Amino acid sequence: MLRLPRFGVQTPDTLEDAVAALAQPGARLVAGGTDILPNLKHRLDQPPVLVSLSRVASLREIREEDGNLVIGAGVTLTEIAEHDRVRALFPSVAYAAGVIASPLIRNMGTLGGNVNLDTRCRYVNQTHFWRTAIGGCLKSEGDVCHVVPKGRICVAAMSSDLVPVLGSLGSTLVNQGPDGPRELPLLDYYGADGTAHIKREPGEVTREVRIPLPSTPTRARYAKWTVRKSIDFPLVSVAINVQLASDSVDAEVTGVSVVVGVLGSKPRVVTRLDEVIGRKLSDATVAHTVATRVHAQCKPLENVPYEAPYRRQMIRVFAQRAIEEMVAEG
Amino acid sequence: MSEHDEPMPTHETGGHVGGVHRKVDAMERMRGVTRYTDDLKLPRMLHAKIKRSPHPHAKILSIDASAALAMPGVHAVITGRDLPTPYGIIPWTPDETALCVEKALYVGDGIACVAADDEDTAIEALEKIDVKYEVLEPLYDPEQALERRDNQINPYSRKGNLSKKVLLEFGDIDGTLEQSDLVVEGDYFFEGTTHAAIEPHCAVAHVEPSGVLTVWSATQVSHYLHRELAKVLDMPANRIRVIQPPLGGAFGGKSEPFDLEFCVAKLALMTGRPVKLLYTREEVFYSHRGRHPMKMKYRTGFTKDGKITAVDAFTILDGGAYSSFGLVTTYYSGQLLCAPYGFDAYRFHSRRAYTNKPACGPKRGHGSVQPRFAIECQIDKAAEQLGLDPIDMRLHNDIGPNAQTVNEFRVGSNGFSECLRRVRASSSWDAKRKELPYGRGLGVAGSTYISGTNYPIYPNDMPQAAVQITLDRSGRARVFSGANDIGQGSNTMLAVIAGNELGLPLEHIRVLSADTDLCPVDLGAYSSRITLMVGNACLEAAQKLRRQVTTAVGKRWDVPRKRVTLADGQAIDREDPERNVPLAEAFQWAEADEGLLSATGSYNTPKDRHGDYRGGTIGASPAYSFTAHVAEVDVDRSTGIVDVKTIWVAHDCGRALSRKIVEGQMEGSAYMGFAEAIMEQHIVDPGHNGVHPGPSLLDYRLPTFLDTPDLEALIVESPDAQGPYGAKEAGEGPLHPSIPAIANAIYDAVGVRMDSLPFTPPRVLAAIEARAAREKAGELEPHKPTLGGAQETA
Amino acid sequence: MSGPSPASAPDAILLRTSINGDAVSVAVEPHHTLLEVLRYQLDLIGSKQGCDKGDCGACTVQIDGKPALACLTLAVHAEGRAVTTVEGLGDAHGGCHPLQDAFDRHDAAQCGFCTPGILMSADSLLRRNPRPVSRDEVREALAGNLCRCTGYTKILDAVVDASEVMHGHGSDDAKKEVAQ
Repeated sequence: MLRLPRFGVQTPDTLEDAVAALAQPGARLVAGGTDILPNLKHRLDQPPVLVSLSRVASLREIREEDGNLVIGAGVTLTEIAEHDRVRALFPSVAYAAGVIASPLIRNMGTLGGNVNLDTRCRYVNQTHFWRTAIGGCLKSEGDVCHVVPKGRICVAAMSSDLVPVLGSLGSTLVNQGPDGPRELPLLDYYGADGTAHIKREPGEVTREVRIPLPSTPTRARYAKWTVRKSIDFPLVSVAINVQLASDSVDAEVTGVSVVVGVLGSKPRVVTRLDEVIGRKLSDATVAHTVATRVHAQCKPLENVPYEAPYRRQMIRVFAQRAIEEMVAEG
Repeated sequence: MSEHDEPMPTHETGGHVGGVHRKVDAMERMRGVTRYTDDLKLPRMLHAKIKRSPHPHAKILSIDASAALAMPGVHAVITGRDLPTPYGIIPWTPDETALCVEKALYVGDGIACVAADDEDTAIEALEKIDVKYEVLEPLYDPEQALERRDNQINPYSRKGNLSKKVLLEFGDIDGTLEQSDLVVEGDYFFEGTTHAAIEPHCAVAHVEPSGVLTVWSATQVSHYLHRELAKVLDMPANRIRVIQPPLGGAFGGKSEPFDLEFCVAKLALMTGRPVKLLYTREEVFYSHRGRHPMKMKYRTGFTKDGKITAVDAFTILDGGAYSSFGLVTTYYSGQLLCAPYGFDAYRFHSRRAYTNKPACGPKRGHGSVQPRFAIECQIDKAAEQLGLDPIDMRLHNDIGPNAQTVNEFRVGSNGFSECLRRVRASSSWDAKRKELPYGRGLGVAGSTYISGTNYPIYPNDMPQAAVQITLDRSGRARVFSGANDIGQGSNTMLAVIAGNELGLPLEHIRVLSADTDLCPVDLGAYSSRITLMVGNACLEAAQKLRRQVTTAVGKRWDVPRKRVTLADGQAIDREDPERNVPLAEAFQWAEADEGLLSATGSYNTPKDRHGDYRGGTIGASPAYSFTAHVAEVDVDRSTGIVDVKTIWVAHDCGRALSRKIVEGQMEGSAYMGFAEAIMEQHIVDPGHNGVHPGPSLLDYRLPTFLDTPDLEALIVESPDAQGPYGAKEAGEGPLHPSIPAIANAIYDAVGVRMDSLPFTPPRVLAAIEARAAREKAGELEPHKPTLGGAQETA
Repeated sequence: MSGPSPASAPDAILLRTSINGDAVSVAVEPHHTLLEVLRYQLDLIGSKQGCDKGDCGACTVQIDGKPALACLTLAVHAEGRAVTTVEGLGDAHGGCHPLQDAFDRHDAAQCGFCTPGILMSADSLLRRNPRPVSRDEVREALAGNLCRCTGYTKILDAVVDASEVMHGHGSDDAKKEVAQ
């Protein structure tokens, strides 16, 4: 059996105690365990102690507060997918949570784990033995990048399904640190270096994600493609959020946000979408224009195990279809 | 029932044959109490791990295990030099050793093995073994390997990197092709795939105080493992016991000895303690022995009315680092192609090359799934060019029952035409195929497979299967069989036959299998041999006992033996059914008359059903199964994604001894073929030191519940005189047509020929775009122009 | 970023949990998964290890009634929770859960290695939906459990059948067998 390295485990009951425990040198957090435990089995790290969030009840709430829907970091992906308010207010969030990996992973995996999901790469998420056969890489035991030869920055892929969706909705993230809570726009949390792609300060624990309640009618959608309809990480991942002048697909677009995942180590916010503002969403040129911009700006790499040129082509197809489906649904 | 039905022997007893049964060993598996190999725990058991080569091709200069041996909790370390005898599942090609002696031949080849108190300690000890290598140039391409006489991969090979070559010619191939109305030429590539049984390989060894070595292993060939253990350990076979615990799937992936079995045996002998070794999933990928990649060049001749005249096949097999069953695979790549279609001229030229990859071997449908893909696509292309319906064309070429193939194999029963008619009707082929719009399509393919091979792997004149049955005073039968139940249900098959003959309910039958101390030798679960061979042996033993029991009852009732029937747990007077006695009492009467009730049955193949030429026995079988599939697909022209909606599987299994088990084999086969068609590929990455790009069940993607098409199993029964109650195989044949049926359906849907596997979205999309460009240039007519084919691509 | 190297072994932790309704106290290594503790310490061997890391579902158990991967659950996470394994599945049904009976009638287990995990996912589906379920619902619920033998067909048959049996719409097969 592929085994975990030896480590100690602490199971604090409160967020404050968890933050305190995380101050131990080398300590790592574990919540659902579905990301970190495979990575530890692969010996991508060997922490002396894991700080488990399994007993921190305060992280498991979903509530509405100050014009936001607040989802605690300990809420499981299944709970998000099935939650009535999430489904009603943010169907693209519920949908994305419900297509992550498999039902079993969703029962275990948490929101906090998903937004802090480590970046993934075909040359990294392998056993220690396997990596020694290729001499390691920037993110493991070596000093080369196998995806971008001569590259000096790791480009492992941000592979969360929820991050693009939450980002497209203007969500913020709240981390609890030794000095108290820190709130920042979710999309600002990610950086370009795949070895350290999240800007989590030392000792911080993710507490919650806050999604602003929409002030205008919207249509939102998440488009995902994987080879299999379950278990797989996303290979194409596009989140779209459209603001409308009134609650009809024939209304004018007043704002549009598109965020794409599984490119490099941070989600990509697609720009230059202003020209669709003022057009009716049902105007076929909207879908086409958005898809064209997405295609021009999003360049998948050979970091995840699928052909990058095909993924690039598919980002366009799936973006266009997502908007066409919004329109078809009315 | 097919029109080729021969009169069935009416079986007055039992009534089990042809029914639906609860398997004899399923409920305990579902309650979680069945002990598979990794569930065995012995007192003071040590745990072993294997250190593996990170190089695809390297000379081992030195191994220093002293630091590992010095660790607390480490009990022993072995290397290749401790087990240097080369072995091979095929006695003519002993070209591997338990652990590498001089060279490592692929990334993952075993170098040394540690036994320690627990796995964690063993893993830590592996890191302390210092191996010095001289890295050698790896060869990944089989054709290149064949040319490189200066770089021999396998040190035991006698012909450089040529592992095996077969050239056989029947009839006037060149002349016939020349005279054919149509010759279709095609180049095909079948990417290798692996078995991926959910249970990883595992073995446990224990030495009894008497010195007898017991090895429990998740193997599907306990007899061959027994022989090879004796050879490599240099111990008499009668001091070794091999037990196959209940097995968690195999599909050919557990059909020869692996490093772990030799290692646990040797370490148990050295330490005097039980030793277990469980592969990680990654190691399962390295052990492999999966389907060979094959590059195939075919020329097929046809008459105007669609008769196949000649087949000329040229094939390169990528064998990986060791021979495994490769000698047989190389023959099978040609020998199993001569039915269900009859033709008069045939040539096949197959060469298997060594490469620096995990060794290939037998996967479900050994050696013949790849050429079947090629020939069925060839036929589809011909049907299109000749304007014939692909099912009609196949019906037209059916070799029929009681026929002889061009390579001189004797075919007995043959339900192929019935299979074609069944899938035609169930899929609504005739109505639907005309109407399906662009993007939707139906495809058909057919196949045949063997029910065991006529000769065992090592030449001998002893029976190929044997069964012993004993009856006891409690009214119970015990069936002793060396056969390996790997999940296919062979233990239940034996209970059905014994119960049918003896009138016993299945719960009164104990099947004890695959223990070399308790059971007669059986050759194992491969080449779909068990139902026919072991079933016949079981039938013979059960019939002997039935005669003893009915004789004893007849004597007490003073009626002729034949008036006594055994059914429903009773002996019954056929002419006066009111007169009956429980079987327990009948067995007691018989035991009083005859002494302990025990009978053996054995089976040997008929020796007149194969070709009279060198190699003419390889691939010959007592009986052949036949299969036809129709696949319906939906191809997305913008993404290239192929959604297989339904596969209709009609399979002639001779006689379905247990209907749901047969259906399960058909469905599981069709699933596995579908998976190979659409998503699976077992490859190495030449750009990264020959590593397997994804040795896990995350990256090697097996279809989930949500990906698998509806599978409609249609049993066709064309009983064969050679099979027990007419039964033939059902476990491997039904895989073959999946892949070409899907390829042909893709063509029907969008007009592109997918001649390389797997049919991944990027490949299908590229083919659609290439066709669109040719249509635009006026080189091709639009496909299905009246059904949406001329529409602009999204 | 180092490979396997011996670390000082942290102390074992006393795990107090409920397994199949029994209160269990057992000393566990902190780095051991629930699967290892079940299989190798408690000899509850029904939960299987197939893929090492959450890709196959053979290790599925229920924790507080929800299906979870025992191979990715730290043993200490079971503290104070109720764990149900396949060995306990039939406890409320006289030893044989209707799913087990349906799987047996349909020959839905071939090698049986994935079956315990599939049963635990299926049971959860049937408890969440106290009514007959559709094939598509079963597909969704079991999408994290791989089976390599069956092509899934007989499993779908069996789960749908069991849901009908449990809610008074017994299948013909089941009725026939009961009548016998």
